[in-house]
Amino acid sequence: MVSIIGASTTKFGELWGTSPRQLAREAVEGALADAGIDQKKVDALFVANMLAGPLAGQQHLGPFFAEELGLHVPAFTIEGACASGGLAVHAAVNAITSGQYEIMVVLGVEKMTDHKPEDVATALMGAGSDEERLSGATFPGLYALLARSHMEKFGTTQEELASIAVKNHFHASLNTNAQFHNTLTVEDVMKSSKVADPITLLECSPISDGAAAVVLTKSRKGVRIVASEVATDTLGLAQRKSLTQLLATQEAASHAYKKAGVGPNDIDVAEVHDCFTIAEILAMEDLGFYKKGKAARAIARGETSLPDSGNPRDSRNRRLVVNPSGGLKGCGHPVAATGIKQMVELVHQLRGTAGKRQVAGARVGLAQNVGGSGATAVVHILKKNYDLRFTN
Amino acid sequence: MISPIKIWRNQKKIVQLVGKTGTIVAWTLIRVPPGDFTNQAPYPVVVVTLADRRITAQLVDWEEKHLVIGQKVVTVIRKVFETGDGVIPYGIKVKPVSYGNR
Repeated sequence: MVSIIGASTTKFGELWGTSPRQLAREAVEGALADAGIDQKKVDALFVANMLAGPLAGQQHLGPFFAEELGLHVPAFTIEGACASGGLAVHAAVNAITSGQYEIMVVLGVEKMTDHKPEDVATALMGAGSDEERLSGATFPGLYALLARSHMEKFGTTQEELASIAVKNHFHASLNTNAQFHNTLTVEDVMKSSKVADPITLLECSPISDGAAAVVLTKSRKGVRIVASEVATDTLGLAQRKSLTQLLATQEAASHAYKKAGVGPNDIDVAEVHDCFTIAEILAMEDLGFYKKGKAARAIARGETSLPDSGNPRDSRNRRLVVNPSGGLKGCGHPVAATGIKQMVELVHQLRGTAGKRQVAGARVGLAQNVGGSGATAVVHILKKNYDLRFTN
Repeated sequence: MISPIKIWRNQKKIVQLVGKTGTIVAWTLIRVPPGDFTNQAPYPVVVVTLADRRITAQLVDWEEKHLVIGQKVVTVIRKVFETGDGVIPYGIKVKPVSYGNR
């Protein structure tokens, strides 16, 4: 069984003074120190990145970061749009399981704020189809089409969509590494300017810089990766069977649950891909936590929020906690780093070291990472390491 | 960065898609556009169901009343955006069909 024995993330945010090299170094050194592993023991490096090519003209990132990190090892770049991080972890699990490498570092790194927002928007559309680029669509626009369809079919409201950003900002306010620490109200979110109707500015994950890294190996120690599954769908949104679900998420999740021998009811904590508020609603439904059309109301009721210690009347019925890190919305979304950051958060949750964000008694965690508007989905299920004295 | 060769190669595909009628199944209004489209914003992008396929396209010649699910549209050839380097990329957009008004 492959385990995560070290995990670390940099702060996410507008880090103008920090270079991609510095971000990578901080995340990887942190993960190796956390694992207690000398870097000489590392057998290979996977780098998850999406935008260094189109934005900065730098590719060949395997040796680029291996050199910076002083790792003279085989090194690869893995790109799957915003699912690059999850894909890289999946590939590393396979590489270790195959016996090719023993100890691997997986780094997700992205530097987005060096560039103009229009250029970033254009570069991100590299994850869409030619038809979508020629239509003038943006990623907020594509998710707006999904939101519109969901609202039409299930009566999902703007208030419910806004409540997801409110929840995730509250969670981010408890996370020192998050991009945002301000809390929001439903009204703040709804009154913010429209980006692509019905999506408002405060329903969008931000443009961010950041890096995250994990150290993986076959071990009985650490947090165990009990399932790692990937599924794909058509690149373009319009060509899908349905505009109110992401079938790739459903497929990856159903394989992952089967492999892990658990179901949605066993998950205590989840990090899901809330690039826009509608995406968290789709994730909650497609991962099987709620029936289609039922997630939005439940999230708005607080069923997936951390307890609000400042609110004495907070005695909500809770199913599981979703996006305790603050999610992409609150924690920030340096695109390829996100899938690795989800792992780092789950590692802390399952070790019981998440501090103010700790989900009490968390034993099973799930991460869902999406590329494009749902063309790639990666689902990981992680389990707490039980004390070996009792399991062997 | 539009390649004239790619435009030429795609001409047949574009021609086959002209004059098809369909229905809007989802719409959005892009207010923060990608670089090439800045001079057109705000503009709607719609998902349209045609007889044999579904496409994503920009809606042109539109008024607010056309931004509804169920609105009938027809595919037309339009300049996609200004390149500024002499190449004129043409592509498929859709425009509303109003009964009694052509």
